Amino acid sequence: MDGVVGFRRGVWAMAPLWLGVVPFALVYAVLARDAGLSLLETQALSALVFAGSAQVSAVGLFGSGAAALGIVSTTFLLNVRHVLYGLSLGRRIPLSRRQRPVAAYFLTDEAFGVVAASGERTFAFLLGAELSLFGMWNLATLGGAIAGSAITDPAELGIDLVFPLAFLALLVPLVRTRVELLVAATSGAIAYVAARGLPGGLPILLTGVVGSLLGATLTNGRLGEDVDVEDAAREVA
Amino acid sequence: MTFWLTVAGMVAVTFGSRYAGLASRFELPDFWVRCLHFVPIAVFAALVTPSLEGGLGEREIRVAAACVTGLAAWRTRNLGVAIVAGMLAFWALRWVSP
Repeated sequence: MDGVVGFRRGVWAMAPLWLGVVPFALVYAVLARDAGLSLLETQALSALVFAGSAQVSAVGLFGSGAAALGIVSTTFLLNVRHVLYGLSLGRRIPLSRRQRPVAAYFLTDEAFGVVAASGERTFAFLLGAELSLFGMWNLATLGGAIAGSAITDPAELGIDLVFPLAFLALLVPLVRTRVELLVAATSGAIAYVAARGLPGGLPILLTGVVGSLLGATLTNGRLGEDVDVEDAAREVA
Repeated sequence: MTFWLTVAGMVAVTFGSRYAGLASRFELPDFWVRCLHFVPIAVFAALVTPSLEGGLGEREIRVAAACVTGLAAWRTRNLGVAIVAGMLAFWALRWVSP
């Protein structure tokens, strides 16, 4: 019985974040349809991968005919931060062996942020928050995929511009310090040059590795433990 | 077929990352924590610049639209608002440019 109450609290704790998730899912779905994915394929990515920025970058790469390896490695780079959330959550919430894979499958920046901010320490609450986002993400994907089919001539409208605009809008809130600005600018420049010579997916992988190593090196001994995982989750969310 | 194989790979690396942290109890060295902090910044920037130009010779107005989106994102911190502002600027500039 406590489980049901906790679950419900988790569902509603996530509700304010629906506002951010719905437009993101709509953008994803429209871009996916524009890239030539079917309704089923568009929905499958939301249900199986369930990771916004990775899905948007993947459909951009699908559209440009990138190799599978490039798409998977970009997905890895974009999602490897979840290791941090898992490490932190695993310490806060007691999870049984069976609960772990379920909690992991639906884990997102948003769910981590909500749990960290709430102080709730139960699997039921975590799952409620996770499924709340999962349900909304998939509903909005469906809506966007259907609406996206109605856009008859995406190239003529310049819909492909939504892709860089979306990532720019995700990037801006993350850049607060001088080092972060430097990493963002350097990464943008590296990717721009690399994209002229290397096949799709590879420039992102290269830039992701070089840019993050640059940032970690430049902050050596300064950021230290100040890199707040919870803060990072809120920003990405 | 390639699509579904790619999706399987995406699921594997995504679920792997999500599960690895939850199932283990180690302390990630400080350097790698900082590295992970910068990954989204580097990757998001890398996803912006190469596709900003477009293939229709509209570089200037696309870059101008990106500036509008950047400004809107900075002021509002709202993804939807920022994208709509940029696209409206893009269509308006297209309309007025010869």
